[in-house]
Amino acid sequence: MAANEPLILALPKGRILDEVLPLLKQAGIEPEAEFDDPKSRKLRFRTNHDNLEIIRVRSFDVATFVAFGAAQIGVAGNDVLMEFDYPEIHAPLDLKIGYCRLSVAEPAELVAKDDPTRWSHVRVATKYPHVAQTHFARRGVQAECIKLNGAIELAPLLGLCRRIVDLVSTGATLKANGLVEVEVIAEVSSRLVVNRAALKTRPREVGGFIERCQAVLDAA
Amino acid sequence: MIDTTSAAVDQAAGLLPAGLRDVLPPRAGFEAAVTERLLAGFARQGYRRVKPPLIEFEDTLLAGAGKGLTSQMFRLMDPVSQRMMGLRTDTTPQVARIAATRLQNEPRPLRLSYAGQVLRVRGSQLRPERQFAQVGVELIGSAALTADAEVVLLAAEELVGLGVTDLSIDLTHPRLVPAVCAGLGMDPVHAEESRKALDRKDAVGLREVAGQDAALLIKLMQSAGPAEYAIHALDRLDLPGEAAFLVRELSELVVAIKAVAPALQVTVDPSEFRGFEYQTGICFALFAKGVRGELGRGGRYTAEAATGSAEPATGFTLYLDSLMRALPTAEPGPSVYLPYGTRRDEAVDLRADGWTTIQGLEPVPDTLAEARRLNCTHLFTGVRVEPV
Repeated sequence: MAANEPLILALPKGRILDEVLPLLKQAGIEPEAEFDDPKSRKLRFRTNHDNLEIIRVRSFDVATFVAFGAAQIGVAGNDVLMEFDYPEIHAPLDLKIGYCRLSVAEPAELVAKDDPTRWSHVRVATKYPHVAQTHFARRGVQAECIKLNGAIELAPLLGLCRRIVDLVSTGATLKANGLVEVEVIAEVSSRLVVNRAALKTRPREVGGFIERCQAVLDAA
Repeated sequence: MIDTTSAAVDQAAGLLPAGLRDVLPPRAGFEAAVTERLLAGFARQGYRRVKPPLIEFEDTLLAGAGKGLTSQMFRLMDPVSQRMMGLRTDTTPQVARIAATRLQNEPRPLRLSYAGQVLRVRGSQLRPERQFAQVGVELIGSAALTADAEVVLLAAEELVGLGVTDLSIDLTHPRLVPAVCAGLGMDPVHAEESRKALDRKDAVGLREVAGQDAALLIKLMQSAGPAEYAIHALDRLDLPGEAAFLVRELSELVVAIKAVAPALQVTVDPSEFRGFEYQTGICFALFAKGVRGELGRGGRYTAEAATGSAEPATGFTLYLDSLMRALPTAEPGPSVYLPYGTRRDEAVDLRADGWTTIQGLEPVPDTLAEARRLNCTHLFTGVRVEPV
């Protein structure tokens, strides 16, 4: 690999992206114009820095790209980090954006008659099978997880299962689907993540990036 | 649906169990050549090769530094002794055992090297391989800092010699964080949780578990970086008792390394811990820019044996699979096609000149086409060698 290979910053598509960009701007990093063009088919973008490029991928994939060193830096929620538990990812900064929580929810009518102490087995629909399993195992409950990639709230409605583990921010989606948040597994916010090997082999570049972000956060 | 578990299908396609693979030419030959070069380099600095068996009794494998890989060991029952045996997950405990038993009367410091395959029950995310080759050295019987410097520099010298570009050595001291936590008077549970958070550079998690002690630990975490910067940052922290001593050890090692290899990239990360659980002093991991994962790791440990003896030791292990990814791909060397009927003495002469010869076993109408078909770079016309 050439010594002047640019650093790759992996950003998650969607909700978090709108919150990350202003932060980056304050750190003096701006993606090329095409980044904001919704019609663009490009996946990899230049920035106003020669040694920094941005890729835009699904939030779960940010962690994977960074863990394997395909991207050296990324922004990922701790929900994703908990799910993968990649040892090669360091999460040195809390960016204090993308706040929400990872929770267990169930239909309102179930809450009334349910006694959680009697559980030995639950079936849950979730994007986070690992987190859900660990969470329930900690209280001695075996969780059978049905992995879904979206529209989790539909699962109890259509009888796929009775409980879900999903991100909750305002609770509006849950409410609209007759679900109630019964337990918070973790508070979630977005973190700056870096690849462990990149931090060792390119300490000045990667360390410099972390410091720049830290300075923006300190100023806020 | 395709039944991927059908044994008949697997057998026909040559499917191997997860994490196991066939290494083919030219890679297999290149890996062997790299191994030999490393061992020769180690030998030039007085490291003599030992060859422990692939399988031995479980309890001797799990003594001392071997404890960390208990859950990773393939086990089988020895039908002869009716005792449990394990396949080695790491070679260091075996070398330590050899030093403590059969080589107990050899003068110290004892310098030993090894190369061999290890097996693990599960691969990791970065190294899915369940079987891979390790090549390494152990320097047993010296607690001196010069011993630490010797093994770090030996690793660097040999890797650079092999053609690894942008080598980076990350130093850590696994006793540092526990020493800081103890100095702060943290209870063992919180100290353990803090160490885990530090290992992941998880500042948020650290604040949650360490409370008021988090400030110092976060500063400790932030002091990771290029060696000069890190040592300077660590020196400025007001570290409690033993921790300050450990930082001095690290700083002396950095000075010793930089004196010999000023161009070598050295980083210090005081909060690294994973995989160093059983190490007792300065440890290091070897990276190459752009190569995923570590090329190898090493560090100080206590060479305990089941016999109860204990000696200070240090060493390192290189992981051949990662190392191969860091090296330029091996170009196949020139080879010459010898048509059917080439005289034996001519072939011997060519080999003596350094050629790889590929002998034609039957007469063919077009020897040039045949040489090309067999990927030979040259053809022997009976008079001279010509490129194809």
